[in-house]
Amino acid sequence: MDKQLLIQTIANSIAISGIYALIAIGLTLAFGVMQMANLAHGHFVMAGAYAVYALYSLSGWSFWIAVVAAVVVGTILGIGVERTIFKPLRGDVVGGFIATAGLMFIFEVLVGEFWGWGLSRPVPSPYKYAVKFFGAAVSFQRILAIPFTVVCIAGLGFFMRYFRLGRALRAVSQDPEAAALQGINLDRMTMLAMAIAGGLAGVAGGLVSVIYAITPSLGHRIILPALIVTVVGGMGSIAGVTIAAFIFGFIITFVTTLIDGVAAQMVSVTIMAIVLAIRPRGIMGHEVG
Amino acid sequence: MKEKELNDFQQDDEEQIRQTTRREFLKKSVKIGAAAGVAASLFPIISSCKKKPEEKPAAAPAEEKEVSKLPSGLTEDEAAILSMLPDQQIGVDYPQGEEINVGFLGALSGPSAGWGLPGLTGINIWIDAVNKTGGLLVGGKRYPLRLHTFDDEGIASKALQGARQLVLERNVKFINAIGGDPANATAPFLTEHKVIYASLVPTDMHPNRPYVVAGGDITPQCNMFNALIAKMVLPSEKEIGRPLRYALTTQEDIMSHQVAAWEIGAAVATGFEIVYEKFFAVETTDFAPIVSAMIATKPDVISLCEAWPEYQTLLWEQLYLQGYEGVVVQNYADWETNLTKIPAEYAASVKGIDSFPLMDDPWWGSPSWQASFTRLWNKRYGPGAPEDVHRKMTGIDWDHVIWLIPWCIGAQLAGKENPGKWPSNDEILEALRAQPSFPTILGPGHMSGEEMFGIKNMIEQPVPMNMFSLDAKDKRIIAHLNFEPWFQAIKHVVIKEVEKRGQMYYQRK
Repeated sequence: MDKQLLIQTIANSIAISGIYALIAIGLTLAFGVMQMANLAHGHFVMAGAYAVYALYSLSGWSFWIAVVAAVVVGTILGIGVERTIFKPLRGDVVGGFIATAGLMFIFEVLVGEFWGWGLSRPVPSPYKYAVKFFGAAVSFQRILAIPFTVVCIAGLGFFMRYFRLGRALRAVSQDPEAAALQGINLDRMTMLAMAIAGGLAGVAGGLVSVIYAITPSLGHRIILPALIVTVVGGMGSIAGVTIAAFIFGFIITFVTTLIDGVAAQMVSVTIMAIVLAIRPRGIMGHEVG
Repeated sequence: MKEKELNDFQQDDEEQIRQTTRREFLKKSVKIGAAAGVAASLFPIISSCKKKPEEKPAAAPAEEKEVSKLPSGLTEDEAAILSMLPDQQIGVDYPQGEEINVGFLGALSGPSAGWGLPGLTGINIWIDAVNKTGGLLVGGKRYPLRLHTFDDEGIASKALQGARQLVLERNVKFINAIGGDPANATAPFLTEHKVIYASLVPTDMHPNRPYVVAGGDITPQCNMFNALIAKMVLPSEKEIGRPLRYALTTQEDIMSHQVAAWEIGAAVATGFEIVYEKFFAVETTDFAPIVSAMIATKPDVISLCEAWPEYQTLLWEQLYLQGYEGVVVQNYADWETNLTKIPAEYAASVKGIDSFPLMDDPWWGSPSWQASFTRLWNKRYGPGAPEDVHRKMTGIDWDHVIWLIPWCIGAQLAGKENPGKWPSNDEILEALRAQPSFPTILGPGHMSGEEMFGIKNMIEQPVPMNMFSLDAKDKRIIAHLNFEPWFQAIKHVVIKEVEKRGQMYYQRK
């Protein structure tokens, strides 16, 4: 691998790692609080992407206002799913898993019936240029994921450390029974967690709407890498997910560049299997924050 | 395009390729294209002047009736597109035959939907025009056509389910399809039921699949011509002091492996050094590392080959962002979507060579079959139209009707031999094979394919090649090429490369 390709591959890796982290932190937050994996998280991202398509691409709104709207859409979806699925199934891990798996298909069909199944929806790039450094060129649109990820993680950390609701959220994730005994309302906390997770998915969806092809099956494509990163990082650990996102971002990008994309898929799933076998809790366990 | 001279084409000795001066080559191409256009428009006129066979009894045409008006509802443009049929006798009454069912079995959703869904528009336009005349006139009866669709999402198991439904429940006799994995899955069932499967990809054809037909889509011929056109726009090896380099990528699927093999063969035969030839997973969402790896090999040409419509846009975006400056070729470019990600100036700078021309390309002229089709399409599917599809017309809108029309022609020809009943698909194929030439959307065609695919089930027709035009901000035809003579000159090299990759028909099961 020559020097130029190495620099370009590192740049590509950093950019995609930011995107993986942004998508996965909502998933791990929800799991940390509810102890259930939301398989429909990828479809929350898809909903955010379609929100941007509808408002920015079709209706001519400003891209950034459309992204804010995507956050709202994701938040509402998160609250709705928590109220209708996770709350009734609290404690039933398998039931929650199956229910969210079904939700994936429901979302996909609803979006397909409303927006159409056929061709992908083109979302024009608001920034059609690349950032160049040391000879490498990375889309500015992708670079944006990094500061957004940093802001989201920092904001979440700040919220959980310095705000009462945030500390309550941490308490629930560490020990729900003890938190309940302290007077913390578990219902409100799980709803809050899913609202935040949905909002984060909305941000991710808004940003990836100009990077990925927008189709009803976008959620399926996104959930696998998000799950891999979450499992390896540690369900419930935002720090772990961030580290895992960068590990996988680099592995997938380097393997794709050096061998091919098919090998990259195999390697990433194999690593997830190995981590699950050796350290089931992942790199940093399942504590939130 | 740079002006340079090429040597005259010489007989291939496994190492050399016949060449001609660029000007002579383009002149020949223009002549071929013009001849094709003239022939296509003259064919129905000539056919209608032929004497009807006297030895077989047929329903006597109402020669005394004056055809002074078009049938109710039939427009002049619809009559114009029906001119491809040798014996439609618009306005003349004939007994009504039973409804003939035609199927569409392809991706109407999913990443390859861009090759399937738009094709329904052309099929609908054709079928509706035929039905407005009372139906397809075959053997003295008018048979209305009816379309049934099934979305296989490009998945083989779904395609087989769809084939069973279309044949057993809908009694379809002809299926428009995309091909690839679904072709492999459905071939045994459709062979058993003798239903024609019109794939977009001749590489699906095989001697043990007598009812798989292809060629209307001009794949892989157009892919092979990509190498030739690219070579004509690049500096010569002599000028740059090294062989020209060719990089190719496409998704990992059966169709792509087959087509890529032919394209690489043509690139090698044309003198390119192959520096990158890899396939990416169909689940790929990030194309940045793929493009980086290709650019690192410093190719003069990057081919996106058979990249699905969804993927080719994202690949184009990365090529632009990572600053690739060579020539980009592919099977099919969707410029309406691509230009949401890249500036038109970039597309023009890297030539953007593909096939699947637009029917409103000025190349075709007016009046022409293509101009009539364009008007019909805009009236029905264009902006503000009753079935507005919210997009511009693409090169796929005609891509599936291109085999349906010859099938109708074959039915009419076969029907003259055995009037009074709908001919079998064997009779239809034999009737087409017997013709030295018949009209197609792209020009005069004939049945071919034995050498490349082991069976004479492919329509061989002129291949239009496009380049991106900055003025039009879309593709425009730059040449209309005759594939067979060129293939004969380079086939020894090409077939070797295809064999190396295990993609010749006798190597595939």
